[in-house]
Amino acid sequence: MKPQLDTFSYDDKIVRQFTWATIVWGLVGMLVGLLIALQLAFPALNYGPFLSFGRLRPLHTNAVIFAFAGNAFFAGAYYSSQRLLKTRMFSDGLSRVHFWGWQLIIVSAALTLPAGFTQAKEYAELEWPIDIAIAVVWVVFAINFFGTIARRRERHLYVAIWFYIASIVTVAILHIFNNLSVPAGPLKSYSLYAGVQDAFMQWWYGHNAVAFFLTTPFLGLMYYFLPKAADRPVFSYRLSILHFWTVVFLYIWAGPHHLHYTALPEWASTLGMVFSVMLWAPSWGGMINGLLTLRGAWRKVVEDPVLKFFVVAVTAYGMATFEGPMLSVKSVNALTHYTDWIIAHVHTGALGWNGFLTFGMIYWMAPRLFQTKLHSQKLAETHFWLATFGMILYATAIYSAGLTQGLMWRAFDETGRLQFPDFIETTMRLMPMYYLRVVGGALYLVGMVMFLYNIVRTWQTRPAGYEVPEIKAAPLAQVYVEPPHPAEPVGALARFVRAAWHRRWERLPLTFTVMTVLAVVVASLFEIIPTFLIKSNVPTIASVTPYTPLELTGRDIYIREGCFNCHSQMIRPFRYETERYGEYSKPGEFVYDHPFLWGSRRIGPDLAREGGKYPNLWHVRHMEAPATITQRSIMPPYPWLLRDAIDFPTIQKHVDAMVMLGVPYGDAVTRAPELAREQARTIAADIEAAGGPKGLADKEIVALVAYLQRLGTDIRKPPAQAGAGPGGH
Amino acid sequence: MRLSDIMANAGLSGYAEIALILFLLAFVAIVVRIFWPGRDREMDATSRLPLDEDHPQTRHTGDRA
Repeated sequence: MKPQLDTFSYDDKIVRQFTWATIVWGLVGMLVGLLIALQLAFPALNYGPFLSFGRLRPLHTNAVIFAFAGNAFFAGAYYSSQRLLKTRMFSDGLSRVHFWGWQLIIVSAALTLPAGFTQAKEYAELEWPIDIAIAVVWVVFAINFFGTIARRRERHLYVAIWFYIASIVTVAILHIFNNLSVPAGPLKSYSLYAGVQDAFMQWWYGHNAVAFFLTTPFLGLMYYFLPKAADRPVFSYRLSILHFWTVVFLYIWAGPHHLHYTALPEWASTLGMVFSVMLWAPSWGGMINGLLTLRGAWRKVVEDPVLKFFVVAVTAYGMATFEGPMLSVKSVNALTHYTDWIIAHVHTGALGWNGFLTFGMIYWMAPRLFQTKLHSQKLAETHFWLATFGMILYATAIYSAGLTQGLMWRAFDETGRLQFPDFIETTMRLMPMYYLRVVGGALYLVGMVMFLYNIVRTWQTRPAGYEVPEIKAAPLAQVYVEPPHPAEPVGALARFVRAAWHRRWERLPLTFTVMTVLAVVVASLFEIIPTFLIKSNVPTIASVTPYTPLELTGRDIYIREGCFNCHSQMIRPFRYETERYGEYSKPGEFVYDHPFLWGSRRIGPDLAREGGKYPNLWHVRHMEAPATITQRSIMPPYPWLLRDAIDFPTIQKHVDAMVMLGVPYGDAVTRAPELAREQARTIAADIEAAGGPKGLADKEIVALVAYLQRLGTDIRKPPAQAGAGPGGH
Repeated sequence: MRLSDIMANAGLSGYAEIALILFLLAFVAIVVRIFWPGRDREMDATSRLPLDEDHPQTRHTGDRA
């Protein structure tokens, strides 16, 4: 008997909305990227607090990750899910809430990050009210997505849907746990975790943000759009399933490879490395699966810009996922960490994999969404070649910069001393590569403008009203009957591998989701529990005391200005690091650091032992105009720190939040502003006595100087001073 | 006694390695299961889902009895 068919239509309006958002935000994010690349090449382009490198860099990363790639994922997921599940989205209303909520979050980021509101955690900079908004909007998306699955008319969930499910649930877990913090004001908070634990949580999040925001969602898109564009099924569906489970099982462990040779316990670092190396296999399996999907269709690649974009995207995925495990090997990491090499690695993934896959996907969808022909295939071809050339130029320049930097930092001369003891020498050597990067980035951006033009012109030729095709499909049967298996299994092993249980999961999204969450959570707990609970992982140091109220204020200014984007605070136990910066960093030194500020890159030198290296006045002059102290310095000037007054009344609130986190503040619990003023007067008097500017006692620069002068000094304190506490500066 | 004291004295140094082995076993189980012969027809049908969407579906999916 023939079943009755349901008639329905797809909601393509939401896909069009996310598509436009992808293009517009992509343009903005890449424009900011070009600006900060220009600022490194021409520091005079740092203009005022809102347009300084330290504040704009997180705006660039957030815009390209969450605005460009995020909207691209949503556009592709809304398009493909409806078609793969043969149903309209669960709720048009929730789709709109998701869209507008997400755009509002992006606008909030664009306003707050240049204003200096940041949690100082990479890719998790946004402050607590925005974090709550992200969680709410994400839940809306999840309800809409899982509701759609529940209403589906296709029994089996195609592998792309698996990747979307893993992305949705894992991003929620990562976001919530990494952003746990104690608010200290409407747009100010302190991380719940401190030092080593905070670093661990951040890179558990940071690495998996790359995995579950930039990789798994885009793999889902690849497994849907590549077969569509090539008009042939994926090369090996088995391999795609293997790809999925191995990525989910392995990725979640790999975060600690971002912290090799830091104060993180050795075992966690090694575990991160081992799992990262294991990721090689599934990643390359996935890449090969993608490329082989085009077997017999290579002629099409020559003619079709969509396939060209996909081929480069999949190749870039292969390159980035080859390089990632390689960089996680400790000895390689020792050379590359903190250098531009990592920036090149990230851009191979972002420009090549995320960018090209998005371009290919939108060029493929545009004629279908706007129900017309693409305005110009030729322009799309030109976009492809410009973007490819721009990306190659960018990567070549910055890989060279990274390698140069890494080798120069560790070079010793024949007398056994550092060959390049002045950090600025190593920076100057990179300038030609920074200029070249600007050219590469500009080419990529020009391609993006062509992309926008092409899509706008396509949209202009749309029909007066969009046709809404009626789709017919049979509803799911009430009872599922297992298809007959050709070879009935014999024995326990065969029964297991026949795995009716797994096939049931594939039909039962809830069970499948629970299993995915379980894989992610169990792996996370295996790493997190020991890091948090085994005391020997973070041996305490008796002489380490909390920051004074003024130092805490200085630290907040350091965070506001984004100093951690260019300066690390983590000296690794290598001779070339201890010779340059001083005693290597110990885990116990960071127990009051909410959040940790180890950084991930050294555009400038490490500051872990900055305290006491220079007089107070040196810091004032340096912050006011760095190039007057260090010739050809590329650091932005911060003259406003000498003009703007410290907000003394709020210091108490900040100290109170720290106390809530368990920081023993002693006297400062009741009289933080008073203690801060007292210390500020002492420092200002010293600056004045040394011939510096007068009247700085209430200016922000004094707080920052107090903080910088404290850095790394606790382990040098004489025993008598060790117990002095935050009031005893 | 605090939880961290209990954890510190619980002798968990081999904990991470055990996890590694467990995950490796789970991985091997998945590999064996995926490549076990006899599922070609099902795999082929599922892999074609993105390409089938433009044609109306006139039967209850999964109801193959």
